Amino acid sequence: MLAIDRHAWTNRWSDRHPLEKLVPAGGMLLAALVLPPWPAAPLIIAVMLVLTIVGARVPPKAALGTLAVPVGFLLTGIPVLALAVDVSVGVHIGLAPDGLRLAAEVTSRSLAATSCLVFLILTTPVAELVPMLGRLGVPKPVRELILLIYRLIFVFLERADVGRQAQVARLGYDGPRRSIRSLGWLAGSLFQRSLDRGRRLETGLAARGFTGDLPYLDSDRAASGALLVAGALLPAAVVAVSIAWTL
Amino acid sequence: MHIMEGYLPPIHALAWTVAAAPFVVAGVRRIGRIVEDHPETKLLLATSGAFAFVLSALKIPSVTGSCSHPTGVGLGAVLFGPNVMAVLGSIVLLFQALLLAHGGITTLGANAFSMAIVGPWVAWSVWRMTSGFGRSVGVFLAAALGNLATYCVTSVQLALAFPDPATGFGGALVKFLSIFAVTQVPLAIVEGILTVVVVNLLAQYSRDELSALAFLRGAK
Repeated sequence: MLAIDRHAWTNRWSDRHPLEKLVPAGGMLLAALVLPPWPAAPLIIAVMLVLTIVGARVPPKAALGTLAVPVGFLLTGIPVLALAVDVSVGVHIGLAPDGLRLAAEVTSRSLAATSCLVFLILTTPVAELVPMLGRLGVPKPVRELILLIYRLIFVFLERADVGRQAQVARLGYDGPRRSIRSLGWLAGSLFQRSLDRGRRLETGLAARGFTGDLPYLDSDRAASGALLVAGALLPAAVVAVSIAWTL
Repeated sequence: MHIMEGYLPPIHALAWTVAAAPFVVAGVRRIGRIVEDHPETKLLLATSGAFAFVLSALKIPSVTGSCSHPTGVGLGAVLFGPNVMAVLGSIVLLFQALLLAHGGITTLGANAFSMAIVGPWVAWSVWRMTSGFGRSVGVFLAAALGNLATYCVTSVQLALAFPDPATGFGGALVKFLSIFAVTQVPLAIVEGILTVVVVNLLAQYSRDELSALAFLRGAK
C-alpha cells in the first residue's frame, strides 16, 4: 500500500542492523547541510543513489521517484528565491543580484539532503528505526505509541481504500459538492471505526491482564564495526573532497 | 505545506526544533499522566494517531488541479485538544517523512511548530471563542483558520531563512505568502467545509465516542 514501506522491508539490506544505515545516512545528511553545495551536493546525491540502487538493490524507479517527491515544493520556491521585490519606486519585481545562485544552492542542498532521507527510508523499516529513537532520549511510552500507530496505519489505510472504492462505485465523487460530502463521510466513518477498534483492543488487552506494558522483541543482531567505520568514512570523504576543491 | 528535507539552513532547523520542543514535551507529560491513570488509553491514543495519518493521506478533490491533502489540524484540535495534538501531530509528521518522503527529519521541528503546534492552538482557540455562533460556523472557522495559520507560519519560517535582498524579511514574507496563497486559500476553505461535514456526522452518530475523548482534551 505504501511503496516506500514495501521497499524498506524487501531490499537487500533490510535485515542489516539499522545503525549500519543510520550512520552513513546521518553523516551524509550533516555533510549536505553544512558543506557548500558545490561540489558536495551532486557528490552526495550520486553516492546515496548508488548505495540505494546498487547496494540495497532498490529498483531505480522507486529510488528516483522518491527523490522526486518534493519537486513541487522546490519548483514553487525557486522563483521566490530568485526574484526580488523592490518597493522604492512603485512595485518592481526583478531578478535578485544573487538570486539564481541562491536558488540553485538551496535547491541542490535540499536535493542532497533528501537523497540521504531517501536512502534511509527505502532501506530501513520503520519498526527498526523506532528502537533507535530511544538513544535520542525519546521516552518509552512515546516509542510504544509510535510503534502502535505504525501497525495501525496500514489497517486504517486499507479501510480508507475500501470505503473510497464503495463510494466511487456509488458515484460519490461526481462533482465537487458530492466529493466533499463523500470525503467528509469517509473521514467520519474512519474515525468512528478507529475509536471502535481502539476500544476493542483495550477490552482484548484487559481480558489478558494488561497492566500497561507492551513488550516487543528487539532484534539482537550486533552492528558490524567495519561497516560502521565505512559508513562514517563516506561523509568524511565528501568533506575532504570539498576542502580540496576550495583550496 | 511541508518544508522539505534540507531546505532550511541548519541553524534555523535547530532553532525551530528548540521552539517546538517545550510544547511536545508538555504533551508527552500529559499523555504520560493520562496513560498512568488509564493504561487502556494507550490504544485509544494509538488509533487516534493512525487516524490522523490516514486523514492526511486522503486526497482532497482537486481545486487548482494539483493533488492536495487535508492537514487535519482543525479536526485534530477539536477532537483531541491542542496538548495531545502536539504529540500526535509530531508523530504523524515523522511518519509522513519516513513513509511518504513528505517533509524531512531536519525540518521536523519547523514543520511540527507550524502544523502540530500553532495550527492546532489557533484552531482550538477559534473553536472556543466561536462557541456562541453554532457548531457549523465555529468548526468551519476553526478548521479554515487553523489551516491558514499553518501556512502563514511556514511562510514566516521561509522568509526568516531567505530574506529578500532588497526588502529583507518583509519582502520575502510577502513573496512566500502570495505564492502559497494560490493553493492554500482555496484549500483552507475546502478543509473548513470538509471538517464541518465530519463533525456534524460525528455529532449525529457518535456522541458516546466524542464524550469518551473528552478527558484527552482536559475537559473532565
